[in-house]
Amino acid sequence: MRAATGTQIFYSIRPCTFVYLTLVVLSLVTWLTGQLGLSGLSISLIVLGLALIKGLLIGDYYMGLRGLTGVWRWAIIVWLVIPGALITWAFIKVQ
Amino acid sequence: MNLSRPDNERTSKDAQYLQAATHDRIYPPGDLAIWVFILAELLVFAVFFSAYALTRANNAELFNTCQLTLDANAAFINTLALISSSYFVMRAVAAIREAKTQQCIQWLIAALAMGCVFLIIKSGEYVHHYQAGINLRTNLFYMFYLSLTFFHFMHVIMGMVILTAVTIKTRQGHYSAAEHTGVETGASYWHMVDIIWLILFPLVYIMR
Repeated sequence: MRAATGTQIFYSIRPCTFVYLTLVVLSLVTWLTGQLGLSGLSISLIVLGLALIKGLLIGDYYMGLRGLTGVWRWAIIVWLVIPGALITWAFIKVQ
Repeated sequence: MNLSRPDNERTSKDAQYLQAATHDRIYPPGDLAIWVFILAELLVFAVFFSAYALTRANNAELFNTCQLTLDANAAFINTLALISSSYFVMRAVAAIREAKTQQCIQWLIAALAMGCVFLIIKSGEYVHHYQAGINLRTNLFYMFYLSLTFFHFMHVIMGMVILTAVTIKTRQGHYSAAEHTGVETGASYWHMVDIIWLILFPLVYIMR
């Protein structure tokens, strides 16, 4: 019996598992940012960007909004963009 | 309509079901009423997040100092717990779509277990703050921190009640591959709880 190659293993992983692993990695990066004591506008905005990407992945792949047509497709995206923009503006204002 | 697919397109079962569930559909999975409720909840949290950031803009030093007293490690573990629970719920939905009732129940129980982990860790944080004499009146930062996280905490409890009800109904045979709106509805609410935490975690614990 032949052992599965890396490519075979890669293609046997479910898309939702890829999304899960991506969420874990992005959360790890966020946590490490805090552990390393990194701060400032650029770092904050990168961390916020990672959070918005994670939210988008949850909305698209877990909540099943990907592939929808009409206004519901944009529900989570709009929710992420509006507070995201306000938070960005507030952090820029501090500088 | 061209139904041919590229050779490299993934054809795993959950992807097929996801495509079947969403392709050319206008409405999201689950009961539409829960989505109206989800949007209302998200709006409230959006206001909360914006208020936090705007208040911080005028009290940056206070917020940055107090933020250092929070346990970011506990919050990270909680993030992993919620991300994992969302994944388990996603797998539960995929399982019921494939008529694998027993698997669906197992995934839902795993998701509930992760919810319990979140509640235990967060309760530990609250006990720690209480013992340190921190409350809503301590200062603006703790007012926002305690309000925001406790409001979310209550949503986690609500989500766990919904998931428990869905698990019991699945066990009783109320859902099948053809009819599983209840599972999708519970899942949608739980994902909302997760998505809120994914913004709350960096905003309150990390960004400064």
